[in-house]
Amino acid sequence: MADLINVIAVGILLGGIYALVSVGLNLIFGVIRIVNFAQGEFVMLGMYGTYAGYTYLHLDPYLTLIVVLPCLFVVGAVVQRLILAPLRTEPAMQIFATFGLLMLLENVVLAATGGAAYSVTSRVAQISVDLAGVQVGLVRLIALAAATLVTVALGVFLRYSMLGRAIRAVAQDRSAARLMGVNVDRIYMLTFGIGTMLAGFAGCLLAPIYSLSPQIGTSFILPAFAVVVLGGLGSVPGAYVGGFIVGLTEAFAGYYLDPALKHAVLFGVFIAVLIIRPSGLFGQIGAEEVGLRES
Amino acid sequence: MSLENGDHKVTQPILASLTRPQPATARLVPVKTFLGEMPLALLVLAMLLGLVTLFSGDSFTLNTLATALLFAGLSSAWNIIGGFGGQFSLAHSVFFAVGAYTTANLYLRAGVSPWLGLIPAAALAALVACVLSWPVFRLRGPFFAIATMAFTEVALALGNYMEWATGGTRGMSIPFRPGLANMIFRDRFSYALLMLGFAALCLMVVIAIKRSRLGYYLQAVRDNEQAARAAGIDVLRVKLKGMAISAALTGIGGGLFLMQVRVADPSALLSLFDFGVKFALIALIGGLGTIYGPLLGALLVIPLESWLRAELGGLMPGANLIALSVCLILASLFMKQGIVGASGRLAILAGRRWRR
Repeated sequence: MADLINVIAVGILLGGIYALVSVGLNLIFGVIRIVNFAQGEFVMLGMYGTYAGYTYLHLDPYLTLIVVLPCLFVVGAVVQRLILAPLRTEPAMQIFATFGLLMLLENVVLAATGGAAYSVTSRVAQISVDLAGVQVGLVRLIALAAATLVTVALGVFLRYSMLGRAIRAVAQDRSAARLMGVNVDRIYMLTFGIGTMLAGFAGCLLAPIYSLSPQIGTSFILPAFAVVVLGGLGSVPGAYVGGFIVGLTEAFAGYYLDPALKHAVLFGVFIAVLIIRPSGLFGQIGAEEVGLRES
Repeated sequence: MSLENGDHKVTQPILASLTRPQPATARLVPVKTFLGEMPLALLVLAMLLGLVTLFSGDSFTLNTLATALLFAGLSSAWNIIGGFGGQFSLAHSVFFAVGAYTTANLYLRAGVSPWLGLIPAAALAALVACVLSWPVFRLRGPFFAIATMAFTEVALALGNYMEWATGGTRGMSIPFRPGLANMIFRDRFSYALLMLGFAALCLMVVIAIKRSRLGYYLQAVRDNEQAARAAGIDVLRVKLKGMAISAALTGIGGGLFLMQVRVADPSALLSLFDFGVKFALIALIGGLGTIYGPLLGALLVIPLESWLRAELGGLMPGANLIALSVCLILASLFMKQGIVGASGRLAILAGRRWRR
C-alpha cells in the first residue's frame, strides 16, 4: 500500500512537471495551429537563462523569472515573425523549420557550453516535505503548484481579458476575427511569444530539479506532445489533466513493469490514443485536421 | 498542400501555349518513361564512379564519399514516401536499425553472408514499416511526424532492453574478418564501390517508381488526399506500398552501414539527428520529390558536415549540426524545392532571357 501511494505521488509530481512544460505548446497549437517541435528547446533556454541569472547576477533561481520571461517572450516573437509567419500556409515546411530550430538551439547551447553539465541550487532545494508518509521535495511541489497556477491564470486570461478574447477569436475563426477588427498577425506573434514565455517559466522552475544539459529539451518534447494529444489539442485544462495522465502512466510503468520500458509503454499509450481519438480527451473533434488546413 | 511541386512544371508550358501563340515544336513536353530517364541516370552514376576512382588513393576522401553515397541512397529511399508521398516519416531510423540488426545477427549467429542477409533485412524492415504505419497513416502532416517520432523513442527503449538482439546499451561489434563473402574489406575503395552500388539501386528504384502508376498515385495523395480518394485511388494501400519499398531500401542501407562501421549501439542507430531526420533534411536540401535531389543533397551535405566536424569539432562541439540546422531553416523558408528546384527555376529564367 505504501508503495502504491509512493508511485502515485511520484506520478502526480511528474505530471505537474509535464503539465507545466506542455501549457505553452498547447496554446501555440490551439491558436496558431503549428506543431512546434522546438518547444522543448525553449524550456531548455529558460533553464540556461536561470543558470546565467543564478551565476552572474547571483539571483535565487526563482527570482530570475523577472529576467527570463521577457527574454523568452522576445525570442518567441522574433522566431514567429521571421521564420513561422512566412510559412503559415505550408505545414510540411513548418515541420522542417521548427525541427531545424530544435537542432539549432540545442547545438548552439552545446557549442556555447562545451557540453558541460550545470546545476542550479536554490535555498528551497534541500527541503523536503512529509506528505502522508511520502517524502516530497519542495522544488517539485512548487512546480506542481506553479502548473496549477499557470493553468488557472491562462484560463482566466483567455476567458476574461480583451487580448485573451481576441486570441480565442483567432483560434476559432481567423477570417471572422479579422473582420471584427482583430489584428491577426499581431495575435499570432503575441501568442507565440506567450507560448515561449510559458516554456521559459517551466524552464525556470525545473532548473533546480534537473541537471542542465543541451539535450534536455529533446527529452521533454515527446512527453509534451503526448500530454497535449492525450489532454486535447488546444484545450487549457486538457494540458493540465494530460500531464497527470502521462506522469502517472510513466510512474506506474516504471515501477510495476521495468524502468527501462517506461518510455516504451508511455509512447505506446500515446500512439494508441493518437490513433483511437486523435482529438484527445478534452479536445474538439477534428482539431487535428483543421490544424492542417488553411481557412 | 502545395501545387508548386515538381511535376506542376510539366503542365505550365502547355498552359502557356494556350494563352499565347508560340511555335508548337518548342512546347512539346514528352512524358518521361523509365527508359527515357536512363541516359541521364547512367551518366550521373558514371560520373560518380569516375569520382570514386579519381580519389581511389585517398582514404579520407573515400570514406567521406562512401558515407555520402550511403546517405544518397537512404535519402532517396526516404524521398519515395516523404517526397513523392508527402508523408513526413521520422521513423526511418527504426527501419534502418531493423535492417542493421537483422543483417548483423544473421551473420554473427548463423554465419549467413551479409550479401544474403540483406534480403531478409529488407523484408523485415518492410514488414515492420507496414505494421507500424498501418494505424498511423490516418494521421496527417505534423501528427504523422509526431507519431513516427514516438516510434523511434519506443524502438530505442526496446533496443536497449532486448540485449539478445542488440547487445543492449553496450552495443554490438562485428569482428574484423576481411573477405568478399563477409562484406568486410581492408581498403576503403571497396566500401565506396559498395555504397555506390547501393545508391545506384536506390536511384533505379526511385526512377522506376516516379515513372510508374504508383509514383503518380503517391504524388496525387500528397497533393490532395481527398481528391485522390475521390479519383478512385486506394489511399492507404498506396501509402503502405510506398512505405514498404522505402523501408526495404532503408533496411538494406542499415545492413550496409553496420557492416561498414562494425560497431553500433541502439542510441547511435536510432539517433534522430544522425539518421531519422538527416534523411529528410538531405532530401529537402537537394529537392523534395525530385529524382536526383537526394543524391545531390547528400553529396553536398555530408562532405560539408564532415569537413566542419574535422575543422571545428574540437573547438565547438555541434558546429556541424548548427550549420545543418541553419541550412534546414533557410531551405524551408527560401528553397522549398531544394537545389534541384532552384537550379531548374534559374535554368528557365536563363532560357527565357536567352530566347529574347
